[in-house]
Amino acid sequence: MKRTRKSQTVTMTTVTGPTTTTTITDGRQCVQVQVNTLSSITTPVCLPPVSLSVCRQCVQVQTVCPGAGEHPLQYNYTFWYSRRTPSRPASSQSYEQNIRQIGTVASVEQFWRFYSHLVRPGDLSGHSDFHLFKEGIKPMWEDESNRSGGKWIIRLRKGLASRFWENIILAMLGEQFMVGEEICGAVVSIRFQEDILSIWNRTSNDQMTTSRIRDTLRRVLNLPTNTIMEYKTHNDSLRDNSSFRNTKISL
Amino acid sequence: MSTDVQKTTAKAIPSTRRVTISDSAHMPHDYSTTPGGTLFSTTPGGTRIIYDRKFLLECRSSPVTKTPPKGLPVIPGVTSPPSGDPTEKTQNGELLNNNNIPAPEGSNTGDDSQFEMDI
Repeated sequence: MKRTRKSQTVTMTTVTGPTTTTTITDGRQCVQVQVNTLSSITTPVCLPPVSLSVCRQCVQVQTVCPGAGEHPLQYNYTFWYSRRTPSRPASSQSYEQNIRQIGTVASVEQFWRFYSHLVRPGDLSGHSDFHLFKEGIKPMWEDESNRSGGKWIIRLRKGLASRFWENIILAMLGEQFMVGEEICGAVVSIRFQEDILSIWNRTSNDQMTTSRIRDTLRRVLNLPTNTIMEYKTHNDSLRDNSSFRNTKISL
Repeated sequence: MSTDVQKTTAKAIPSTRRVTISDSAHMPHDYSTTPGGTLFSTTPGGTRIIYDRKFLLECRSSPVTKTPPKGLPVIPGVTSPPSGDPTEKTQNGELLNNNNIPAPEGSNTGDDSQFEMDI
């Protein structure tokens, strides 16, 4: 059973449609729901067989399951891609329209299938980002899971993004950060003269969590000891409508 | 940290896990991993699935990963659906669709080991 998600309101929604229940090798049950929209539905599920009543506080629907014999991940993750033409000004509405899902993975093997069929971030052109976020969390400040959160960012000179992106997402998928449910996702941002790696967590004022994330980043990315790491809360980003300016510097 | 809505009963964290080793060859090569793997089956709240980087990279060479995923959108310059086109290469000469290269390490920047770099 998946862990419950923290939730402040209890919402009841009924979903009807074809469903398939699969029991995977480690005993977890995965319920697949056919939905008409492409947006991620991952609302939690209580399981009667005929129609699904969706109520928060229960198990999360996984829209993807590990295949037989594959190595399951602790969480499902969704790949996203976004691109902005520099002439267009950034706004929340245009950001949501510019970002699109590529696919969701539930196992190590599924991850490699997607990853092997994406170009490496260092080969992306223009103002582009790859995002890898837990299923159900949109890579946006406004998402419920991100509202109280923030991110660590590391600036990279050109040429390093591909290798660092791979290492950060392997660490995330492999649960190396050891901060419970706090990790939301990771982003690699290709920009004009530098590239930026970000890792988002749920609770920006949880110092123990943010310190542990910072220390894990140093370890898994092999950062030189004098590397500057910056933290920025998403509230601050919303306020100044910028992802990477006016961060708090941590040495 | 996370706050589960359900109340869980408090349990002492088990402090030791015994793994018997009879041969020094069974000791892990990495200093920071324990014999028997890094799967912690006794964390409070249940099993957590942990994989180290080396293991994840080894999974890449499984034949399952060669076929393109179902539903991969076509975004030129971003995704690479199968084309069988022999000229489809990245700047580094790595074939996007024929990932016979077992380890991605070193194929991009030419660096093999994960040493510190000036960033």
